[in-house]
Amino acid sequence: MSDQQSNAQAAVTMSGVNKWFDEFHVLKDIELNVTLGEKIVICGPSGSGKSTLIRCICKLEDHQRGDITVLGKALNDDISNIDEIRREVGMVFQQFNLFPHMTVMENCTLAQMLVRKKSRKEAEEIAMNFLNKVRIPEQAMKYPGELSGGQQQRVAIARSLCMNPQIMLFDEPTSALDPEMISEVLDVMVSLAEEGMTMVCVTHEMGFARRVADRVIFMDGGEIVEQNEPETFFNKPQNERTQLFLSQILQH
Amino acid sequence: MVTVAESNLPPRSSWLAIMSKRLFDGPVNTVVTLLCIGFFAWLLYWIIDWVFLSSIWSKDDVEQCKEATGACWSVIHARHRIILFGLFPFEEHWRSTLACVVMIVTMIASCVSWFWTARRLSILWVAGFATFYVLMQGGYFGLTTITPERWGGLALTIFIFAAVSIIGMPLSVLLALGRRSKLPVIAKLVGLFIDFFRSLPLLTILFTAAVITPFVLPGWLQGDKLYRVIVGFAIFFACYQAENIRAGLQAIPPGQDEAGLTLGLSYWHRVFRIQLPQAFRNSLPAIINQFVITFKETSIVTIVGFFEILASGNAAYGTGEWTQHYIEVYAFIGFIYFIFVFSLSRYGAYLEKRLRVGHV
Repeated sequence: MSDQQSNAQAAVTMSGVNKWFDEFHVLKDIELNVTLGEKIVICGPSGSGKSTLIRCICKLEDHQRGDITVLGKALNDDISNIDEIRREVGMVFQQFNLFPHMTVMENCTLAQMLVRKKSRKEAEEIAMNFLNKVRIPEQAMKYPGELSGGQQQRVAIARSLCMNPQIMLFDEPTSALDPEMISEVLDVMVSLAEEGMTMVCVTHEMGFARRVADRVIFMDGGEIVEQNEPETFFNKPQNERTQLFLSQILQH
Repeated sequence: MVTVAESNLPPRSSWLAIMSKRLFDGPVNTVVTLLCIGFFAWLLYWIIDWVFLSSIWSKDDVEQCKEATGACWSVIHARHRIILFGLFPFEEHWRSTLACVVMIVTMIASCVSWFWTARRLSILWVAGFATFYVLMQGGYFGLTTITPERWGGLALTIFIFAAVSIIGMPLSVLLALGRRSKLPVIAKLVGLFIDFFRSLPLLTILFTAAVITPFVLPGWLQGDKLYRVIVGFAIFFACYQAENIRAGLQAIPPGQDEAGLTLGLSYWHRVFRIQLPQAFRNSLPAIINQFVITFKETSIVTIVGFFEILASGNAAYGTGEWTQHYIEVYAFIGFIYFIFVFSLSRYGAYLEKRLRVGHV
């Protein structure tokens, strides 16, 4: 019973995950458990494999060894499993990746209608609801190219939420933004966290990590070097590499 | 005195000031400019004079043509039926005219965005082709049967162009997607197919389709020579167009497809809703270019014995009294080509503007 319960609550389980890009060993024996409702922040120097790690969770990258289980389903070559997992996992990209030939509204309704088989009316109501939540309902009829970076990223978050995902992955969502637009995106992410969404975020926004993360993970050289709850992670980092990294990014 | 609003704008020169500064600064430039203006004015006058002022229009004034310094449009007046209809039986010309109109209306309608759903477009084209076929071929509704060997002139040109485009476009999309397939076998095979047909001259392909395939294909697959030629032409067209579309696909950032994947969209949904619309926008100039080339290349089917508009034109001035007036015939045919190709280009420009919506 308790075993089943813990299984039911597991959002993502990675055990012994290894991945290579040709010769380059990008993920080394990754062990990671995320329970439903948990908020994880992953940080680390560039090239440390953090983006690759979360891209593996929705099978944008294949891993070559080890097991990944998402919401109780094994992520292997079984295509129906992959489809099912992708439907339940939302992803927000550094480059927003909005569809430039569609309006904001069409961006938000496309997958709802094609994948969730919702009617246009229903899909538009849901989209409006989430556009309200990210505070840009007035931009619904515009094209992505007409919006600022911060607005585009908020649309991208709304587009993911429209699919009613159980887990949200964020791959450096603020790294491509001008400084003055970062907070509008982080505000949306904070309120999402407060509502209890399961989140795995690759980000260098340490303020955000302190505020919402249940756990902060530091990666370097394809390994998880250290993980802890934010208070301990920032105030008493154990590993040398973590200390060095933190001193570098918190210097200014 | 300069107001505040004005002082905030960049300085602008008048049209006249720019002209005088660039074209009339100094005696040499002034002379060159005047000479050029004079030359073009003379050229324009000469053309207008040849086409309109000194030309003969009536069929009854054939004798005057010998003295006239302008064009002798009587040849068009007398021979336009040969040019437009080729060997099509005289008393059935109305069918060919109607068929042309139907095809042109179909082409124009398919440019209207209301028709841009797979269902509407296919209904439109099937209906267009069926009507064209029934009118030209006959055999139904009491129309006498006229086999494709006797089709000719403008109707044949338009039919070949429309049929090649409508078979070639979907094929080119499939080839472009195939060449980008993640399965190496498919990608390599499609790549070989495309490169093979691109390496052959159109002439060879048409000749093979018309003359050699009957020896190779089983009888039930041969069909009429016209259809074999069209299929050959369509494959040639598709191989070029596929590379244009592939160029457009390559230009799409990989993040677009990834976004589609994470939203749970299927392969075909990603292709039709995300990739192709952007690919078409990216390579629209090249795609329109291929259509333009294809419209003009329809004249090559003459070589395998079809009387499309250019060949019919040759026949039109080839007899006795009109042999002097091939310039007028070619000018007339050139004008018809121009109308089609120019509208095609303008449509392309309109599309580009329309698809640029929201792109800064």
